[in-house]
Amino acid sequence: MRRRLTGWAAVVLLAAGCGPLSQTHHKPGNSHEVATAPPGGGGQGGEARAVITVRAGRVSPPSGWLEARRGQTVAITVTSDVADELHVHGYDRTAELRPGQAVTVRFRADLTGVFEVETHESGLVLTQVAVR
Amino acid sequence: MSGAGVLAQGGGLPALAHGVGERSDLPIPLFYAYAGAFAALVVSFLALGLLWADSRFSGDRAGRAIRARLPARPARVAALLAALYTAGWLLVGPAEGNAGPYLVYVLFWVGLVPASLLFGPVWRTVSPFRLLPGRPRRPLPARLGYWPAAAGLLAFTWTELVAPAPAAPPTLLAFCAVYAAAQVAGTLAYGHAWLERGDPFEVYSTLIGHLSPLGRRADGTRVLRGPFDGLDAVRPAPGLVATVCVLLGGTGYDGFSGAPAWVNALQTSPLGRAGLGTLGLLAAVAGVALLYAACLGVAGLVGGTRGLAPRFAHSLVPIALGYLVAHYFSLLVFEGQRAVILALGLDRLGVEVDRDVVGPGTIATVQVLAIVAGHVAGVVAAHDRSVRLLPPERAVAGQIPLFVLMLCYTLGGLTLLFAA
Repeated sequence: MRRRLTGWAAVVLLAAGCGPLSQTHHKPGNSHEVATAPPGGGGQGGEARAVITVRAGRVSPPSGWLEARRGQTVAITVTSDVADELHVHGYDRTAELRPGQAVTVRFRADLTGVFEVETHESGLVLTQVAVR
Repeated sequence: MSGAGVLAQGGGLPALAHGVGERSDLPIPLFYAYAGAFAALVVSFLALGLLWADSRFSGDRAGRAIRARLPARPARVAALLAALYTAGWLLVGPAEGNAGPYLVYVLFWVGLVPASLLFGPVWRTVSPFRLLPGRPRRPLPARLGYWPAAAGLLAFTWTELVAPAPAAPPTLLAFCAVYAAAQVAGTLAYGHAWLERGDPFEVYSTLIGHLSPLGRRADGTRVLRGPFDGLDAVRPAPGLVATVCVLLGGTGYDGFSGAPAWVNALQTSPLGRAGLGTLGLLAAVAGVALLYAACLGVAGLVGGTRGLAPRFAHSLVPIALGYLVAHYFSLLVFEGQRAVILALGLDRLGVEVDRDVVGPGTIATVQVLAIVAGHVAGVVAAHDRSVRLLPPERAVAGQIPLFVLMLCYTLGGLTLLFAA
């Protein structure tokens, strides 16, 4: 028993120890395919953009992070297969989603933090906007 | 989650960190993570080599007695009125801009941390359940210990972090009704002794209050004492380790519940969001507990002493406190304002939350300092307890597994701040 516990300890230690070096999902495009404008312009006038589709309760690309600088414009385009309501937390932007129609929410990222973009009816987190 | 957003709908809410709140913190910069990890490592090894060789903390006997007594009865009546006011918001409050969830999750749950840290066991002082007659019908079974509190804290953490609609008034009313019923039943059967061990919020507040300069001895004397003496006065009982592990594991789960990988797993799981969330929360608590059991087991072997596990639980309290501060600081600063604004109806006067009180740099600094300070305090407390309990020739070696344990918690906490 004690041996098994020690084994567990080693596993947890490893899991805890390897953390600070891994860069997984915070670098845009690393673990998901949300399109992000490069910092400092380019793209559509320096916008941070995400294009998201919801079909049969599945979010594609899978819910990730959308990086933005403070002051940058964020544009999130969502197409849902069912009627729903889109909500950007913190900035409190909402938009009506009609089946099959692409809707774009655009706002200036003037608050720092991480903000969820979700649908109200289906309760899905579409992406999280990280404003630095 | 904005008041306008969440509270308007009944079901189908995404699992959100903290129950309420519209933003979460940015990851701490890599430099902060390394600086914190480095500080924790250095302190641990310095402590091993340089700290005292004979125990210095005298626990319950320490401190200077003071005569500071709050008029307990009026304070408890006031707390009862505040609780009824909150229940009123939850019962008949508007769907939008309801202060109830903010009062529960922010002012009460998070606010208890700084209040207890400054003033000692505040929930014990103001708990409305202590207005009930304190005479026990039968003695509290000793083996019950802190287990009811551990279960209660786990239930609250589940409600806050996993429940399908954590901020919906019905969810909160259900939790509060069960909580109040359990405390009333427990108090009627076992007297006030029940509240000391069975009320999750009193246990939470009292454990954190052990670090306060305003201490309370077991006999009720109020004393001014150092935080380490206060910590040393935590009395081991069954379930104490579990209680601290629930606090650590629950806050840890809060840390990774917003990570995109976990959000995706929750949204696509065949178990459903609540099912997988429950498993995740239980796994986090079990992971913390297994690590504790393993390291204490090794410490016992190395130190040649049995039954160490409950006697080091106190050293996890500052680490849990560091986690709590790191995860809830910005919530208290931002949503605490909203709680006050909504509860007093100031929103109708156009008062808004000031979102520039603290910036990301300040938040990251507070988070790392809290985690590292908790680690340092835990190491010092564990060191003092080791030199008291272990034979002198084994005291240094016996501490190594304890420091490994604390480094794991601290590096884990920093990793969560950095990567989730």
